[in-house]
Amino acid sequence: MKRFLYKIGIFGLLVFVLLNGIAFLSLYFLGKSCLYKPQYLQNGVKENQFDYLVLGSSIGLTTLNTKAIDSLTGKRGLNMSMDDTSMGTHYLMLQHYYALGKKTDNVVLTVTPWDAVDSIPELGNNDFQFITYLREDYAYQYYASMEKELFKPLTISTYFPLIGVSYYNVEVFYPSLLATVHPNKRNRFDDRGNYTYPVNTSDLKGKEQEVSKLLFLNPYYKKIVALCKENNSELVVYIAPMYKRQVVLAVDDPKVINHSEFLSDSKLFYDHIHVNHLGRAEASAEFAKEMRILFENGEK
Amino acid sequence: MLFNSLQYLAFLPLVFAIYWGVNNKFLKLQNLLLLAASYYFYACWDWRFLFLLVFSTGLDYYTGLKMKDASTVRIKKFWFWLSIGINVGFLGIFKYYNFFAESFAELLSGFGFQANFWTLQVILPVGISFYTFHGLSYVIDIYKNRIEPERNIVDYSLFVSYFPLLVAGPIERATHLLPQIKKRRHFNYDQAIQGVKQIIWGLFKKVVIADNCAFFVNQLFDQPGNYSASELWLGAVLFAFQIYGDFSGYSDIALGTSKLFGIELLKNFNFPYFSKDIADFWRRWHISLSTWFRDYLYIPLGGSQGGKKMRLRNTMIIFLVSGFWHGANWTFIVWGLIHALLFIPLLLSDNNRKHLSDSAYGLKDLPKVLFTFLLVCLAWVFFRADTLSEAGTYISGMFQFHEMSLNLFLKNGKYVLFSGICFISVSFLLYTEWQHIKTSRAEIQLSKVSLLLLLGMIFFMGAFKNQMSFIYFQF
Repeated sequence: MKRFLYKIGIFGLLVFVLLNGIAFLSLYFLGKSCLYKPQYLQNGVKENQFDYLVLGSSIGLTTLNTKAIDSLTGKRGLNMSMDDTSMGTHYLMLQHYYALGKKTDNVVLTVTPWDAVDSIPELGNNDFQFITYLREDYAYQYYASMEKELFKPLTISTYFPLIGVSYYNVEVFYPSLLATVHPNKRNRFDDRGNYTYPVNTSDLKGKEQEVSKLLFLNPYYKKIVALCKENNSELVVYIAPMYKRQVVLAVDDPKVINHSEFLSDSKLFYDHIHVNHLGRAEASAEFAKEMRILFENGEK
Repeated sequence: MLFNSLQYLAFLPLVFAIYWGVNNKFLKLQNLLLLAASYYFYACWDWRFLFLLVFSTGLDYYTGLKMKDASTVRIKKFWFWLSIGINVGFLGIFKYYNFFAESFAELLSGFGFQANFWTLQVILPVGISFYTFHGLSYVIDIYKNRIEPERNIVDYSLFVSYFPLLVAGPIERATHLLPQIKKRRHFNYDQAIQGVKQIIWGLFKKVVIADNCAFFVNQLFDQPGNYSASELWLGAVLFAFQIYGDFSGYSDIALGTSKLFGIELLKNFNFPYFSKDIADFWRRWHISLSTWFRDYLYIPLGGSQGGKKMRLRNTMIIFLVSGFWHGANWTFIVWGLIHALLFIPLLLSDNNRKHLSDSAYGLKDLPKVLFTFLLVCLAWVFFRADTLSEAGTYISGMFQFHEMSLNLFLKNGKYVLFSGICFISVSFLLYTEWQHIKTSRAEIQLSKVSLLLLLGMIFFMGAFKNQMSFIYFQF
């Protein structure tokens, strides 16, 4: 029995150390790359000051083209939206942005009614992308609070990277191999963080008109507001165009840009909630107009 | 509690430690501990069904004793049929009632009658087919005077409920398992090491092969009309490996776990995809079930004793019942029927035992192995599809040869990655099995390097985020 336990123990320990070593290297190379946005922000974005920073999920990512907006406003913006995320991730990204010593005059928070009203937010599908920053308190605290199950692969990865790397092996381990060879490769976004959907051929016309009320019950909204204030950034809430969905505001706030009904032609949409590259051009131009007014009215 | 869950990772070492550490010298305590652990293991699924398991165990235990003590054949028969009736009745109610009620209602509506049969909205108790078959074999063996009834209720209960085999087999026999339960067990280093290796091998099959293949299989079977013939063929092949990895992986973990407690379970798989014909396949696939049907259905029906007509009838029955055992759905019955139709030509030409003792492989066997695998894959389509019409759509799509593409497998980086994982893991499986076949090794043997490689593959290729339940739990 002792021999069995000894053998299993030693072999298990060696394997655990070895695989953790591989996982550590995997995170190291991913952390040095530009593959995902959190790492790109550190390794690929050299400027430390922007006029505006766009945060959001896939809607923010695919609606606002900062290059187009900059050409119309003469300002400099960065789109740090990440698809398949929610307001918690936007908060994490903002913390990350400030923690890297970067500044922005305005934070444009792209919101959706369903995310804003979510009072018990859950871990987003792409939140793992901050795994290389687990040593930073903000990332650790975020994972610790969002992983509610007994098994917390991301949180545990602070001590045993193997756990998170193997749990997210498709998303972390293999991309890290790619990152080792091509550290400057970006995962579907340009040097300003923009991405666009192609023109969709599917028919959207059957949809009925809907009205959604924007209510901020998500606890991360308040945290974002506080963080912006703390860092002297103005918060602008942006509601992107959606196909046949009107978003009405519960409170009439001048810092809300509501473009939910700005576009109505189905040819400008990829699906019900995302514009395609044609819709993006129009939405970005309209957003630029609003931003110019904000800038001219004495905002930063 | 899944074998590939964290819960089990804590449960197994704990039971192992108490079993050998505290109870080492007392067989009764060891058995009691295993029984308590087994009931806890089962209760983790749904504690309410624990009562059913205990009742079923108590019934077979009691009727076994009553049959032994019966003063007349009539009384013995009474207890025998009582046990059979209640066991099969439970199985019928929980597993098949809705199927029969709905099928009968559909049949009547076909004749223009409207019948709304009351259907039971019950959850199928996990493992009911497996532990019912344990009990049935025990009762039949006593009735046929093959064994003596077990008088120790703990030992008997452990035979039925032993946690490694409780929810998905292998289906044990009293003649094989009970003597091991009753015998004093000593820790055996080699057996325990082999157990750990088998658990790791099983985990690899389940977490790496089965769950990654499921990624494509689920998409292809959900909407077969959207995919080309080549994609559907590949989907059928992947399902063959998914179900093999899933079920044989479970069996390996069960056998490996049991070895840690000094108990050997019946082997359930013997490299089935290296079969040279369908008869050979059935000697290698789910062995504990096929031998159960052979011993408790085929032979009592007359087996191979009668003429060809009788053998044909018995073969047809055994395959149909085997299909139906898997689930209350016409798809399983058709799956059984297909295997029967593939088996019958071998039976009629007296070739069904051709490869019984033929373990050597040559290049000439490759076409036979490939052809058998192809037939098995086609039959798997019915096993996997939810309805016969879906299976029909899938099969017809497989033969639309003008549409040949592998777009699904190369859709984007993630899909290419999954394709690569499936290809590498299946190749590794086949290579390892081939090495074992070549050297006539029945049990999986893994060197330290192979083990390290396997563990690396489990951690870096395993599908942990989208974990799937074991397919055979539903049976």
